[in-house]
Amino acid sequence: MTSCEFQAVILAAGRGTRLPEVLGDAPKCLLPVGPYPLIWYPLNMLSRHNFTGKPINYKSTSMPENCLLFTEVIIVVLEQDKVEVQQALERTPLKVKIDYATIPNDSDFGTADSLRYIHDKIKSDFLVVSCDIVSNISLYPLINKFRSDDAALALVLFKSGFESDVVMPGPKTKHKPERDIIGVHPATQRLAFVFAASDCEDTLNLQHYLLKNRGQLDVYSRLTDAHIYVLKKWVIDYLHRKENISTFKGEFLPHLIKKQYYRRTPKAMPDTTSDLNVTTKHDDNILHYATHTVVDQKLTQASLFNQSLSHVPYHGDVIRCFAVQAPQDTIGVRINNTLSFLAINRKLAGIWSELCGETHSLIAPGAVVKSTQTKDIIVADNAKLSEKTSLNCSVFGSNSIVNPKNIVNNSIIMSNVVVEEGCNINNCIIGHRAHVKSGSVLNNCLIGPNYVVEEQTKSQSLHLSNDDQYMEIDIQ
Amino acid sequence: MSQFQKEIVQAVLIADNNAWNFKPLSDEASTALLPLVNVSMLDYALIALNRSGVEEVFVYASLYLQDIRQHIKEGIATFASWSFKMTVHVIGGEGCRCFGDAMRDLDAKALIRGNFILLGADTVTNADLRPVLEQHKRTAKFDKGAAATLVFKESTSSTARTGNELLIAMDRQSTRLHYHQRLRMNHKEARYQIPLDVFLGNSSVTLHHNLLDPQIAIGSPSMLSLFSDNFDFQTRDDFVRGLLINEELLDSRIYVSLLPPAQYAHKVNNWLSYQLVSRDIISRWAYPLVPDMGVYKLQQQYVFYKDNIYKSHDANVSKVALQENVVIQAGSQVDAGTTISSSVVGANCRIGKNCQLNNVFLMANVTIHDNCQLRHCVIGPDAVINEKCVITAGCVLGAKCVLPANTKLSNTLVTSSQDTQRTEENEKIELDSIGPKAYIVSDVTTGDPDDSDGEEDLLPKATTLCIPKMSEIQAQANDASDYSYSSDDDDEDESRVATPLPDDTNIFLSEVIDSLTRGFREKSNPDFLILEINSSRYAYNMSLKEVNFNVVKAVFGMESILEPANNNVLVAINAAFKQLGPVVSNYIKSEDAMFDCLKALEDICEENELVREKISQVVHYLYDKDFISEDAIHAWYKQLDPKEQAPLRQSLAKLVDWLNQSSEEDDDDDDDDDDE
Repeated sequence: MTSCEFQAVILAAGRGTRLPEVLGDAPKCLLPVGPYPLIWYPLNMLSRHNFTGKPINYKSTSMPENCLLFTEVIIVVLEQDKVEVQQALERTPLKVKIDYATIPNDSDFGTADSLRYIHDKIKSDFLVVSCDIVSNISLYPLINKFRSDDAALALVLFKSGFESDVVMPGPKTKHKPERDIIGVHPATQRLAFVFAASDCEDTLNLQHYLLKNRGQLDVYSRLTDAHIYVLKKWVIDYLHRKENISTFKGEFLPHLIKKQYYRRTPKAMPDTTSDLNVTTKHDDNILHYATHTVVDQKLTQASLFNQSLSHVPYHGDVIRCFAVQAPQDTIGVRINNTLSFLAINRKLAGIWSELCGETHSLIAPGAVVKSTQTKDIIVADNAKLSEKTSLNCSVFGSNSIVNPKNIVNNSIIMSNVVVEEGCNINNCIIGHRAHVKSGSVLNNCLIGPNYVVEEQTKSQSLHLSNDDQYMEIDIQ
Repeated sequence: MSQFQKEIVQAVLIADNNAWNFKPLSDEASTALLPLVNVSMLDYALIALNRSGVEEVFVYASLYLQDIRQHIKEGIATFASWSFKMTVHVIGGEGCRCFGDAMRDLDAKALIRGNFILLGADTVTNADLRPVLEQHKRTAKFDKGAAATLVFKESTSSTARTGNELLIAMDRQSTRLHYHQRLRMNHKEARYQIPLDVFLGNSSVTLHHNLLDPQIAIGSPSMLSLFSDNFDFQTRDDFVRGLLINEELLDSRIYVSLLPPAQYAHKVNNWLSYQLVSRDIISRWAYPLVPDMGVYKLQQQYVFYKDNIYKSHDANVSKVALQENVVIQAGSQVDAGTTISSSVVGANCRIGKNCQLNNVFLMANVTIHDNCQLRHCVIGPDAVINEKCVITAGCVLGAKCVLPANTKLSNTLVTSSQDTQRTEENEKIELDSIGPKAYIVSDVTTGDPDDSDGEEDLLPKATTLCIPKMSEIQAQANDASDYSYSSDDDDEDESRVATPLPDDTNIFLSEVIDSLTRGFREKSNPDFLILEINSSRYAYNMSLKEVNFNVVKAVFGMESILEPANNNVLVAINAAFKQLGPVVSNYIKSEDAMFDCLKALEDICEENELVREKISQVVHYLYDKDFISEDAIHAWYKQLDPKEQAPLRQSLAKLVDWLNQSSEEDDDDDDDDDDE
């Protein structure tokens, strides 16, 4: 089935360096988010668009015809994680054909490196999705923008601040969210620039060509790049050539956006000839890759198509990048740090049906829930939640045991955790196989894997762990 | 009592702006009374206010208070179109030196009771300001600190800059102004620097780059008191800047309103914009402020023909080629064979035969004799131009000038008498004369722009040494560089990407070079330099070997050696080592260190041609001064690759031979033990 319009690539080879507290030894893409591993969410999002018929049960912004977007998803994983990911995904209900592409274990690949590594698998225009996106966004507006404006790249922006009302457990740290400053031309949704706020000093330097003849530019600082990109096929060829670029978001995206305004100098003009495949010389020039032949040029100039690609505001730019803003009520969060991990797990039960369009219970059939006071909880297989407990907005991993007379609020109890009697746990993350002995009161705590919380411990805002690396126990 | 009074709409009109930009005509009369398409600018502003439903106007004048008062009086007497339903007061005085003074004076007089419209007398607009006023009132209800709403107009044309162009950043939802930068004339910014806080503090900010500032604003009563509190506010831009910087301190905010695309607004702040606005009025962009609509006087003065030709019934224009965009007022006479295009002819002008006028603005009673060519110029009232004059490129002739025949002028300002020019010390300036009643005014040196009264100097002084003048208006060619970057920039960018990040070694080297250069220049104590180098060494975690290597490299990397006087590198090296010798010898102690030192020299040779030529002398010098030992030189020489470093070996061969010989002698000496 190579006739599909798009291929989809999920980048899941991240090592999760920003989630040290909860990661344990599992790969980042298998972090438990509610009942499924993290990678299930982008897969599910893609599979929702993977219909030959009308999308069902979804607030769709109209898909014009019955057409197949893509049938197969390429997941890029580290070689060592492949089997594990494969097994984890087989346990989930997914109707997507998955192709695994592995990258060497010891390689220190950035996202662009990974794409370059698998470039020969890309045969058509393609989507690149990060494995850490949890969202119910509709990709149709994005894809339609990509099609209608014949874009080189289109990306999705959604409102940041999903995790803003969640307090990070553990010792107080200065959590400074990364912010992007994104400039979009309001009339055309054309992307003018993406800067990381931390890269700028006190002033933002704008080249005059960004403003000149465009007049108006909307600049957003509270939007997040969803890491969902639709790209033209030639972009990967170009990326393959640019070997000094190693990250997609940090280096390649700004590079490509800047190239929009790149003009071939007149003397190089004859190169734009239509014999694109004949010239074997691999030019570094980006316009060499963007297939814009003389005929194309004449077509756009003569076209009555009202986007008028050859006039204002496009000025005949060959490379065009666009940003589509998600509707206000879209749920979107990137699970790239512990805080957002906690936030999504806590809120998941509340937004489940909205997010996944599913109504099935979040309490796994194999779980034993005897508790009567529960609200918005997610329980995995074989978890035992005893009677006489009050459990709110929390997630209980597989094989976890919560004994009677416990109060658990806003917390994540990972797999194989044992909570003995009489504990009060609030806004905590209890790591895999940890043991909380009776009478403990934990507030805003991070409990590392395998840690044993002794009886009658009263802790607040601590990081308790066996791991020497994270020995941060303050005696106050 | 007063609370029962109905709230009336008030406006303040600031006359006498931009006096310097309108030299030499501004030396003789108020700029507010300067005719623009045969109607004085003040009248345009008054009509705009009248159309916006303003009931009471305060015209604030300074130097030419009496003239303006007279003009208003006449206007009311002759039923000028603005005189209905609107009372006009003329206030002010000579003491008022700037916009800020006017605002402070208004505050002191307590004439303004509520929100008011603030306008320059030189603004031409057909905009209805009522919605803007309403918007300001709504904003003020919501935000008690709303001091003003500035009105801007989106410009679509990309003509030359007139000094009214702005770059602003405003909040998309609240239209609050966050950043305000006036784009300089005759200057092309390569990049704009906008404070990051503007973007981080607000979720969505809109940058507008294509705005014109027509100098229209809605002021809250607090605007006047802000001027009183901050006596350093001279201009409206000062006010905006001050408020943006001290937003919290002054607890005041500025909002922005954009005029709808259909409405026209432009400020006439110099001759260039005078030309532009004249063109716009004639080609009816400012409708209903067009010549045939009876602007000012409620009577039909012109007949409107095709190609935007407006001709008075009382004008005698026969056998004349009026091409397009021409206005000819009553009483004027143009003789046969003359061609006129894009020009304005005032009342009672006389133009001779076979003249060519293009973009010429004649005020009342001008006489032009036969066979003259005029392009892009302004001729003041009662001026006389004799035969065969050629006047081009932004010339301005003051009132009553008389140009002798065959005069050729371009880009000059001419006044009729010497006395009109004042300076700060009231000295008389000697002016170049081109005729008994024509003197050239130099617009570069006459007075300080600040000197002109009531002038609102919008432009940085350093760049506005001469008055912007008229010229050919042409839509800027779609210069590719305007909205894209050329491949040159790109190459730069490519190389930037390709260059590796400066690693610690390079940083260390450059720091050592800096230290040594400074030490050499200031002749500082070598111990301090060593201390400095050592601290750099620990900062970048350099091994001893690297330090030795880099210190020597740094000495030779100093500017005095890279670019020695008279290309005499040996002298430079000698000077450097005299001063820095102790530093070098501190590091180069052991044989290994000496070897490192020579390796460094090898490196330097590759980079520095001057050193390469004299390498044997340099090595010899170092040997002489005991920085390096003979053994080190031998060891180094041996490991030099015979193929790749052949030239180096060659130039060193002699030295090594000599060393061998002398060492043999030394050996002999040792045996004898009595020589020397």
